[in-house]
Amino acid sequence: MREVAVIGCGVTQFGHHWKKDQENLLVEATYEAVKDASIELKDVEAVWCGSFYPSTGISGNVFSDTLKFFGKPISRVENYCATGMDNVRNAAFAVASGAYDIVIAAGVEKLMDAGSRGIPHIEGIFSVAMPAVSAPGMFAMAANRAFKEWGWNRKDLALVAVKNHYNGARHPKAHFRKGVTVEQVLNAPMVAYPLGVYDCSAVSDGAAAIVLTRPEIAKEIVGDDFAIIKAIGMAVETMHPWHRPSETFLSFPATVNAAKMAFKMAGIEEPRKELDFGIVHDCFTITELINYQDLQLCKPGEGAELIRDGVTAIDGDFPINPDGGLKSFGHPIAASGVRMIAELTKQVLGKAEGLQVEGAEAGFAHNLGGPYSVATVAVVGRR
Amino acid sequence: MPSLGGERTVAHWDEDSLTMAVEAARGLGVEEFDAVIFASTSPPFKIKQCASIIASALDLSGNTFTMDVTDSFRAATNALITANEMVDSGRFSRVLVVAADRIPVKPATIYEQLYGDAAVAIAVEKDGDAKILGYSTATKPLPGTWMRSDDDTVKDFDMRLDARYGYAESVQQAVMPLFAKLNLSPADVDRIVASAPDPKSYVGLLKAVGVKAEEFYFSSIGIAGAAHPLLLLASQLERPGRILLGGYGEGADVFAIQIDDAIESNLGEMLESGKKIGYADYLFNRGFVGVKEAPDRPSLTKYWRDEKSIIRFYGMKCRNCGAVSYPISRCCVECGAKDSYEEVKLGDKGRIYTYTIDYLIMPGNYTGDGIHPHCVAVVDLEGGGRVFFEVTDVLRDFEGVECDAEVERTFRLLFEKADFRYYGWKVRLPR
Repeated sequence: MREVAVIGCGVTQFGHHWKKDQENLLVEATYEAVKDASIELKDVEAVWCGSFYPSTGISGNVFSDTLKFFGKPISRVENYCATGMDNVRNAAFAVASGAYDIVIAAGVEKLMDAGSRGIPHIEGIFSVAMPAVSAPGMFAMAANRAFKEWGWNRKDLALVAVKNHYNGARHPKAHFRKGVTVEQVLNAPMVAYPLGVYDCSAVSDGAAAIVLTRPEIAKEIVGDDFAIIKAIGMAVETMHPWHRPSETFLSFPATVNAAKMAFKMAGIEEPRKELDFGIVHDCFTITELINYQDLQLCKPGEGAELIRDGVTAIDGDFPINPDGGLKSFGHPIAASGVRMIAELTKQVLGKAEGLQVEGAEAGFAHNLGGPYSVATVAVVGRR
Repeated sequence: MPSLGGERTVAHWDEDSLTMAVEAARGLGVEEFDAVIFASTSPPFKIKQCASIIASALDLSGNTFTMDVTDSFRAATNALITANEMVDSGRFSRVLVVAADRIPVKPATIYEQLYGDAAVAIAVEKDGDAKILGYSTATKPLPGTWMRSDDDTVKDFDMRLDARYGYAESVQQAVMPLFAKLNLSPADVDRIVASAPDPKSYVGLLKAVGVKAEEFYFSSIGIAGAAHPLLLLASQLERPGRILLGGYGEGADVFAIQIDDAIESNLGEMLESGKKIGYADYLFNRGFVGVKEAPDRPSLTKYWRDEKSIIRFYGMKCRNCGAVSYPISRCCVECGAKDSYEEVKLGDKGRIYTYTIDYLIMPGNYTGDGIHPHCVAVVDLEGGGRVFFEVTDVLRDFEGVECDAEVERTFRLLFEKADFRYYGWKVRLPR
């Protein structure tokens, strides 16, 4: 793909925003991004704004009515938990095509207003006779099979939570800003066996927005202060992995395909050698371990070794989720994928204060959604 | 309330007289019937025939004659008489009589101790190993036990009246013309069993007749309502001889049955494999505890349209890649081939590929209460096909649910939502 520049990022505090509504958060993130990009909102020609749950219309009105930004093209893209990065993908390709010069990709979610335990129920997406399963339940099934197949255990999962909360404790915008111990993780109440409370990312509110343009325009506006989206891969698999006989539950094919696509687009053959770090979708601890494998950092079955050996720690050989991940930020669905690109940008520009990965020149971000049915992988590097 | 002693059978929360009837009928291992008669005092619907749903779950022909016999504890013997006449007429070759009851009772009442949940299925055909020699009936409008149309539990005025004037008198009154018709005397009968309103009455009857008491199953099952006479029949069929079988309720139906060859049933096996549960789980199974929040409204149209997948339980075998998959859909989940498959009936047993115990959901797809988690499993079925099932017959005790464990299919209530009861298949650990 033609390279796309990220010239501005805006991310709200993630957490329980009891006193703020969705509109409030989206205004905050958008204006922060616009200011960071040294432009004005009126300079933006088109917007992709994700919001997984209905709000202010199931349409571009999510953005237009919130920002009173009328008369321009706005698309609302939904793709489960990969909604955020899919909005970035659509926005990036629009800029790369030359159709627009400056666009915004944003995502916002206000989950706490639904008053539900776990993410709010969505009606009618499964067949009538199918048993219901929660999001943690979907991924717990991967964990139980991995335990059986590879001998992983709950402690391996706990190490992921410990690592990510250690990192997130130092991120000013994280929902949770304190570390946890393996014992705390293991003794927490069960959510969906074998996943306990600390194995799950929290339900949070938040918004994120980024301003995209082409590198030559970026140079005129911000000089050298921008990052480059080198590739974005995306793949959609089945909504019913539990009905597909060939599904292993030990790998998420959507991630595998999106990663292959992105790495090929960016001309990367060995991501662990050619890239410096990654941000992966750690909606659940087991997801992160399987992601290591699907994103080609190690062979199948070796994911747990990476966490045990500290390879993915912030000072390890290949840091994963130096920002603290969804574990620390919570997962306001559509906001997460956009925030990930903002985090990559900060890292490659050397602006991740307190959480900076040493020598971070390029990294990837991975956004996974549904019953591992949709995935997006982006590669972002220094200009 | 003093304890009447013994044990009672309790249906799991997702079992009712309809689902238990399907399970009992499947146990016969017979694939073809040209009629299904369902007998129960606790049909889950007041308007809607259960026998037709049972026929569908058994994957019987769409031309099967179906009928429900309800409202009386004599329903099963009424059904047996009907089936006997249908077969005798030569117009039907094999009739399924299936009786089931799950009588609604309130906690801490005598009824709770009196009744047990059960279902029994019997195949009636011309040349079986046991022959119905004849039958006769006594009809008596006794007060007995009743439920009005709007009642949610059984009631009675004074059970002693039934015991004193109802039961033994009804059976005797029915037996006399039967003996005359068949030219039999009490000496020609080896054994007698008859459903009774309570265990004491049963003993009284046998004393009056002067024969040895046959097992009544009160202390292991309880009184199984309309299913009880067939339960007693099943127990007697296991030994040759000539028996009298009575069904009591507003009088009595009495049969003389000649058993030439013993017919095995799974009664003993079922009693042995019972799982003991505490009173809290009993209350949950009965629906007295547990908040069942069901905000959604599943499409009954879709449920109707997908009968072949949901109730008859067919999957598809792809003609292109050979994959067996579920549910039936136009394009193969493995290779995408369009409209190139045959419908195949999926297996009864399988192995758990993976599973979880989900505290955010309650069994039956209700919002989780944090106490009764939803156990679900991805199951690879024998003969192919992978299906996502609720694992039932587990409440807070999940021992044995693990990867590669063997499971079997069972027909259950999936959930009750938007004023309708949705049925379908789940799995359980083998009994």
